[in-house]
Amino acid sequence: MASAYKEAASVPEQFPVGLKVLVVDDDVLCLRILEQMLRKCMYSVTTCSQATVALNLLRERKGFFDIVLSDVHMPDMDGFKLLELVGLEMDLPVIMMSGDDRTSLVLKGIKHGACDYLIKPIRTEELKNIWQHIVRKRCTVSKEHELSGSLEDNDQQKQGNDESEYASCVNEGSDGMLRTLKKRKDSKDEEDTELENDDPSTSKKPRVVWSVELHQQFVTAVNQLGIDKAVPKRILELMNVPGLTRENVASHLQKFRLYLKRLSGVSQTHGGLPGSYCAPLEPNPKMGTLGRFDIQALAASGQVPPQTLAALHAELFNRPTGTVVFPAMDQSALLQASMPVSKGTTIDQNVAYGQPLMKCTSNVLKHFPQNFTSADSVHSGLGTWSAKSPVKISASDNLNGLGGQNGSGMMNVMHQQTQQIRRPHEQQQKQSTIPETSRTINVQPSCLVVPSPSSANFQAGNSLVSANQSRSLSGSSDIDYSLLLHQSHNPPLGTGRSQDTELKHASVIGGLSCDSYSSTSGHLQGQGMPKNTAFFGRATPIPSHLYVDETGTAIANGNQDKMYGEITGNRIKQEPSMNFSENARGGIPMLQRISPNDLMSVFHE
Amino acid sequence: MLVLGAERLRLDMNRLLALLFHQGVLDEQFLQLQQLQDEDSPNFVSEVVNIYFHESEKLLRNLRALLLDREFSDYKKMGLHLNQFMGSSSSIGAKRIRNVCVAFRAASEQNNRAGCLRALEVLEHEYCYLKNKLHELFQIEQQRMLAAGVRYPMHH
Repeated sequence: MASAYKEAASVPEQFPVGLKVLVVDDDVLCLRILEQMLRKCMYSVTTCSQATVALNLLRERKGFFDIVLSDVHMPDMDGFKLLELVGLEMDLPVIMMSGDDRTSLVLKGIKHGACDYLIKPIRTEELKNIWQHIVRKRCTVSKEHELSGSLEDNDQQKQGNDESEYASCVNEGSDGMLRTLKKRKDSKDEEDTELENDDPSTSKKPRVVWSVELHQQFVTAVNQLGIDKAVPKRILELMNVPGLTRENVASHLQKFRLYLKRLSGVSQTHGGLPGSYCAPLEPNPKMGTLGRFDIQALAASGQVPPQTLAALHAELFNRPTGTVVFPAMDQSALLQASMPVSKGTTIDQNVAYGQPLMKCTSNVLKHFPQNFTSADSVHSGLGTWSAKSPVKISASDNLNGLGGQNGSGMMNVMHQQTQQIRRPHEQQQKQSTIPETSRTINVQPSCLVVPSPSSANFQAGNSLVSANQSRSLSGSSDIDYSLLLHQSHNPPLGTGRSQDTELKHASVIGGLSCDSYSSTSGHLQGQGMPKNTAFFGRATPIPSHLYVDETGTAIANGNQDKMYGEITGNRIKQEPSMNFSENARGGIPMLQRISPNDLMSVFHE
Repeated sequence: MLVLGAERLRLDMNRLLALLFHQGVLDEQFLQLQQLQDEDSPNFVSEVVNIYFHESEKLLRNLRALLLDREFSDYKKMGLHLNQFMGSSSSIGAKRIRNVCVAFRAASEQNNRAGCLRALEVLEHEYCYLKNKLHELFQIEQQRMLAAGVRYPMHH
């Protein structure tokens, strides 16, 4: 593993090297062959002969794996069930495989959201290419999120009280955010909690594990209500599971909605298929009827109290099963409707994202954000970042080259943030370092070529300080970069590593290339946006710094006093683990956040 | 002298492989396995083939037990066994066994017990043939390695 990383760091062009693949197959022979094939492809392979074990592994180590390869026929759990649960809970690309090449089975795989379906025998050539699904997934996810805003609004309007509660919490600002962050700290998997912003009180409740059975109950309940009419309270009533709270259901419902949205995205891309295959909810009406059946059976056996029964029956008769299918169609219609609006940008960005991806180290690439979403993107980004970056720091000490630089970039901001947080009342001191900052910046060619940004810089530096209060998103990347620079003047928090930090930091600066800068400068001036000045000559550092900037901005927008507890808490917790593999999923968001302008200058190289 | 012996054995191996390919017993997937063998796993092919033998014998036993059961009706379970057999056979390139599995599965889908029994017999026959031939192949390879005095076979 370590050697794979070294390679990744020294040869960033070899992106897929070290990609973490989980292979699930009950057939030990196939497992062994696949392991060897994937190893030959330089992937890091974990094998698992039971689907349930695999699911637990995925739940325990969220964000660890990049892609899942799963057999279809497995005795303990159907491969499709695993696929559905993975899609629902962690949005990983899943490749199905089977010796069974019947079209119906392949279609079932696609309908359930498989990104590919390999027929055994699988050849090494087919596996070499699987990294594309990771990149593709990120692209579609980012595209989806652009669209999801409007969808979410729509949903929320439909939902009435329950959802507006959620919305108000998001808008609540820093207080709400603090609570979400605290909550996140408690939980093992940030993915799960990302969507749990609906009610801050969730933090006190024990986490619910959504077992296959529980999820089935949930799906049945949702289908009975109709997806667009399903509100957590009603679902909870229908499920009638002791100990389950409305918040648990609300969070799961949101995930379920996202999952359905993704599925409808999948069927859209497979537009060539007949309509019946495309309806992403096609299997669900069956479950709906099943649920109906169960209730009637329960009624017959007298296990359900009469009031509940009455309520259930009211549900059943008021809502025809047919409604189950329609919401999905509504959604895709919505998707299509909102397409023309953002179409241009979407396409641009897809192309643009694709480009720098190839140039990055695998280290960075493989950790695209899983759910970097719309309204709560700041929250989730923070959560992920702060949780993981300490690990990244430890890792970067052991890495050299670009990977290490990325790490140190993160590190710097990290320290920066920590310091800011540490001394929230010492803003005066901060102000005094700003002149220093701009001095450092003047050393860069950027300020020589484009004079205006330096002043923008200065202002930005100030605005960052004020961002503590203002929560303004307008902070340009200059701010953070400049802070990043003057970072080296301040002793980092982790004194043991302070030297490394400075050294690597220096190398980042050294990595600036005048040539490419001049090619970008045209853009800078053309755009007249100070945002672009944090732009570097080399391809690989660019995203990392842009990312760093973004994160910095994002954090600056948050309530920093409160962030402190979060960051340091995680530092202490995670540092000793020194787990390479888990390092910094947070390193990725940048790729989605690079503005087209910035990318254009990448192309100039 | 030694090297000449090794060369002769290598030719023997190639001839046997060519025969198996010609008969349709093996396909190019077997060559994939050979390419996967490297310094890190020098006995990869024989390791995998041994797993295959072990699994196949288990599956054949299960299939036979299912079919010999008087009140047999679990075609679904048989289908699952056959799927696995198909998957593993195709993964090592046992082409003819895979084809028999396909026929077997077709018979089981039609609840055709007589067809299933016939298919099982063909399957067992095919399996024995493949096992013998692969054993032969590995024996020649072992001799060749001894003769050449190299630890790892070179397949390129």
